[in-house]
This record gives sequence, C-alpha cells and structure tokens, in this order.
Amino acid sequence: MSGNPTSLTAPAGGRDSGPLSRNWRLLTAAAVAVAAGIAAPHVISSVLWISLLTQAVVDMIFATSVGLLVRQNGRISFGQAAFFGLGGYIFAVSIAREIATPELAIILAVVLPTLIAFLLGLIIARIPGVAHAMLTLAVGQAFYEVVFKWRELANGDDGMSVALPRTLFGFDSGMLQTPGSMLPIVWTILVMILVGFTLMARSPFGQLTEAIRENDERAQFIGYTTTLPRAVIYGASAFVAAVAGLLQTLYNGYISPDMFHWSLSGMALIMAIVGGPKIIWGPALGAFILFFFKDVAGDATEYWPALVGIMLIVVTLLLPEGFAGLAERTDVPLRRLRKGRAS
Amino acid sequence: MLIQVLNGVVYGGLLYLLAVGLVLIFGLREIVNFAHGALFMLGSYIGFSIAAIFDFWLGLAGAIVAMTLVGLCLDAGVLRPLRKHDHMVTVLVTFGILLVLETFATAVWGKAFRSMQPPELLSGTVELFGEPFPVYRLFVIAVSLCVAGGLTVWLRHSRIGLYVRASSVDPTTTGILGVDTDRLSLLVVGLGTGLAGMSGVIAAPLMALSPTMGNFILIESFIVVVVGGLGSFSGAFIAALLIGQIHNMGAVYLPWASTLLPFLLMVCVLIWRPTGIAGGKG
Repeated sequence: MSGNPTSLTAPAGGRDSGPLSRNWRLLTAAAVAVAAGIAAPHVISSVLWISLLTQAVVDMIFATSVGLLVRQNGRISFGQAAFFGLGGYIFAVSIAREIATPELAIILAVVLPTLIAFLLGLIIARIPGVAHAMLTLAVGQAFYEVVFKWRELANGDDGMSVALPRTLFGFDSGMLQTPGSMLPIVWTILVMILVGFTLMARSPFGQLTEAIRENDERAQFIGYTTTLPRAVIYGASAFVAAVAGLLQTLYNGYISPDMFHWSLSGMALIMAIVGGPKIIWGPALGAFILFFFKDVAGDATEYWPALVGIMLIVVTLLLPEGFAGLAERTDVPLRRLRKGRAS
Repeated sequence: MLIQVLNGVVYGGLLYLLAVGLVLIFGLREIVNFAHGALFMLGSYIGFSIAAIFDFWLGLAGAIVAMTLVGLCLDAGVLRPLRKHDHMVTVLVTFGILLVLETFATAVWGKAFRSMQPPELLSGTVELFGEPFPVYRLFVIAVSLCVAGGLTVWLRHSRIGLYVRASSVDPTTTGILGVDTDRLSLLVVGLGTGLAGMSGVIAAPLMALSPTMGNFILIESFIVVVVGGLGSFSGAFIAALLIGQIHNMGAVYLPWASTLLPFLLMVCVLIWRPTGIAGGKG
C-alpha cells in the first residue's frame, strides 16, 4: 500500500509535548504521507492495482465523512450517500447544461451540498438516537427518488456519462481519468481532510462538539447553543462526502442514481464502524479494508453481502473501537516500551 | 375516488402491520429493527414456498409460526445479550442481519421476481360503489383492522398489555417493579416479527416477491413510526392510514411526486412537532 494511514496519528502525547509540537508532528506525518502517495504510482507497476487503489481512496474519503458525524456528533447516518450523489450530480448536470463553467461547477458541487446539509442539520440534529438514524435514511432516500424519477435531469435510472472539458483550472483534465496521476491527487486530498479534521478535533470548536455529543443538556446549561455546532458538523461531513462524490464522477466520468442509494450510505457507515470512528483515520482504514475485502469476497462468491454483514456484526460485538482501535491498542504498549528504554 | 380511498387503506393496513411491530420492539428494547423489512420479505417467501405445495392458508400460518420463531431467536440470541450495549450498536447489528437475510433469500429463491396468487376463496371481485373491487383487498383491510383492534384490547385490558405499555414508557422502572422484562421482550419481539411475517404473506399477492422487496416498505414504515411518534401505538395507526392515503393518492393524481410525498409529510410533521403526532420519547 502507498503511504500508511497509521502514520497520520500524532502520538497521543506524553506530558512534555505541547500543542505546538503535536501539530508539527501531525504536519510532518502528513508530508511523509503525501510524498508516499506521489511516489506510489512510480513504485507500483500494475495499472490495475493503481486503479483499484484510486477507487479505494475515494471510498476512504467518503467513509471519513460518515465517521466525522459519528465522532463529533455521536449520530449515525444512513443517508450520507445523498451528499455523495449531490457532489457528482451538481457537477455533471451543471456542465452538461452549461449552467456554469466547469471550474464554477466544481465549486458549486462541494458548496451546495454543504449548505443543504447545514440547513437540514438544523432540523435533523435536534432529533436524537434511533429516530435520527431512521430519519437520515428517509431523507437520503428522498433524494434518490428524485433523481431516479426525474428523467429530464440526468436520464433517471440509466445514469449519464460526463464529458470533461479539456482543461480544468488550467490543468489537463485527462490527468483526472488516468489512475497514475489521479491516485496522488485523491490521496493528497484525503490526507488534507484527515489533517483538517484532526486540527478541528483539537480546536475549541472540536472540543465543544464532543462535549455536546457526550451530554447535550449539560452543554446547554453551561450556556452553549447545541443545534448550531451540530449543524456545522453536518455541513463539514457533507462537504467531504460531496468531495468524494465529485472525485468519483471526475474519475469515472459517469453518474447514476445508485450514487444516492441507501445501500451505499449503509456501506459507508459499515466502513466507518469497521474501521473505528473514534479515531479520525479509522473510517478510512475501514474503507480500505472493506474495499479489498469486497474485491476478494466478490471474486470468490456472489453471496459477499452476507460476509460483509457478518463482518459488521463481529466487529461491532468484538471490536467496539474497530480495527483502528485495535491498531492503537497494540501500539500503546510498544510506545511505552520504547519510552522506557530511552529514559 | 372512494375506491382509491380503499386502496389507500389497503396499503396503510400493510404499513401498520409492519410499523406496529417496530413500535412493539422499540418499546421493549429501545432499538429500531433495521432487519424488519428483511423479515417481511422472508415471511413472504416462506408463505410462497408453502403455498406452492399446500395452499395459501397453510402458507400464511407457516410463515407466521416461522417468523415468530425467528423473532424469539432474534431476541434471545441478539437483542438480550446486547441490551447493555449502546443502542446504536444493536441497530448496526440488525443492519448486518438485514444484509445476511437478503443474501440468504437470494441464495435460496434467486433474484428473479416471483408472484403469488390470492387464495381461491378470496379471488374475484365484488361490486362496491358501482365499481368492481378485489375481494382480496377487502380481506387485507379486515386483517389489519382485526390486528389493530386485537392489539388495542390486549394492550389496554390485559395484565401483560399493561406491562408492555409500562415498559415502553420506562423499561428500567418497569423492571424494578418486578416485571420480567426479558421474558416480556421475548414475547413482544416474537409478536412483532410474527406480524412482519404475516404482513409479508398478505402483501405477497399484491406485489412482486424479490429479496429486496422489504426495503421500500421498511423505509415507509420508518416514516410511519417517526410521524406517529416513536413508541406510540395509536400514533402508528393514524400515521399508517395517513401515509397509506398519501401514497395511493399520490400514485394516482401526482405520479411524478408520489414517492416523495410521504417524505415531505414527515419533514413537515417534524418541524411542527419533533416528537411526532402522538409525542413519546425520542
């Protein structure tokens, strides 16, 4: 694999490490990861592998968006595909109908879903727990119904292929559909998102959202409004989902209502849970594992969804912190050992 | 027009049978069973297979018994061991079960659509308001009304019903007061899944059977439960009839928007009353 996602976690921090050195370590790790991503296509000779990895990284970005909602809001979404699909559809429809220049279409494709999610968040975020899970499913599926039925928009059920303009922001757009050049792009975006989320989690805002997640009522007693921060998290998570949908559309040059379907939302949620949403890079790890698990299991048997279901059940029961939690747990004693030797 | 209203009641009745199962399970275990649509689908296929060998009525009975047993296993094997966990964990596990059951149905019955005939006794039509109306649809209405009536009497006037209602207000306190909530839950989850199986068989002659047939109706019954107020039995009944009408009227008069109307209703109700028509806990 190109670039190990575990390198992105700054160590949980001993007593001596201030926030400044923590952030430096994070940035160093990120720089190493980006360098590894740029080097990867030159090291990996198989085009098939590079192509699979590119697709996997798009999934990793999508799963990260679901993970953010779980991590900062403590909410489970069965409708995140709505924003994934919107990212792709807004871009594709705006350039196909010449509503906007391609560059503007790219900006709209990430800004509009963010705004929609923020406004929806103001309503949905007030509803806790299980009802919330049902609601997100229903809202997500409403988007699916619209694009499925509305044939004039983008051929309904059949989907639509997207012809990219020759250049985007002055770069040759062919780069986006060549695995060798797309892999470093999507990988760098993923690293940037993970760094951004880590910095956000460390910021006062990130800590406020965690306080709200732990006890909404108490946060209100201290004097915070709780709906607004939750809605901001919705927006941020939809932003990332839209980026993933946009990247997938740019890479594949194709959109279809399946991008909105709740089974995709469910899959992203499974990826996030299997990876472990408590840790910021957990969902990405889960997406990576499941992408290749599906690939291998799909070759072996057509009954692979059952295997994914069983994996979900086993992980939620036996590894409540996901694979990332497992990795951190085995890492802590090692680090302690190293520290003990040094002193 | 009146015929359309009746058609709406038919769909509303089916939605009620599913939604009330969800409400029953929610009341005792405080979780939403994402596998409920898959149980509906499984009930459908079991009824279909038995009916292919014997007849519709045996298929109906067999599916109810089989799905009740599945429900007992679900409660004893999954929900009870998980009751100390975060409720979202259990919801995720039921989502995993959904994937497993759908794959199971694909493996056993294949992906192709199957159809099932109504029993001979109920085939044919009757004259209603000067128009022919299938007898079978009247039967579906009758069954759902009987279930609604029976459940109401049971919940209001029996001791166990009292426990169930108490438990859906506060399971912990009910347990402290000496009610064996685990045994109660076994009964209630079995009842809920049995109803899902029953509605599966009853719906089978009205829709095509496929491994994913439960998904759409699951989403609409979620809307029913949310609109009615999570945990409310009467709310579920009112909301099911309402969504049934909207679904059907939409399909007739506003085909392009029909599938969206229930979602819009839900959003409106939630803005108006975040806890649903009949209130209840979140």
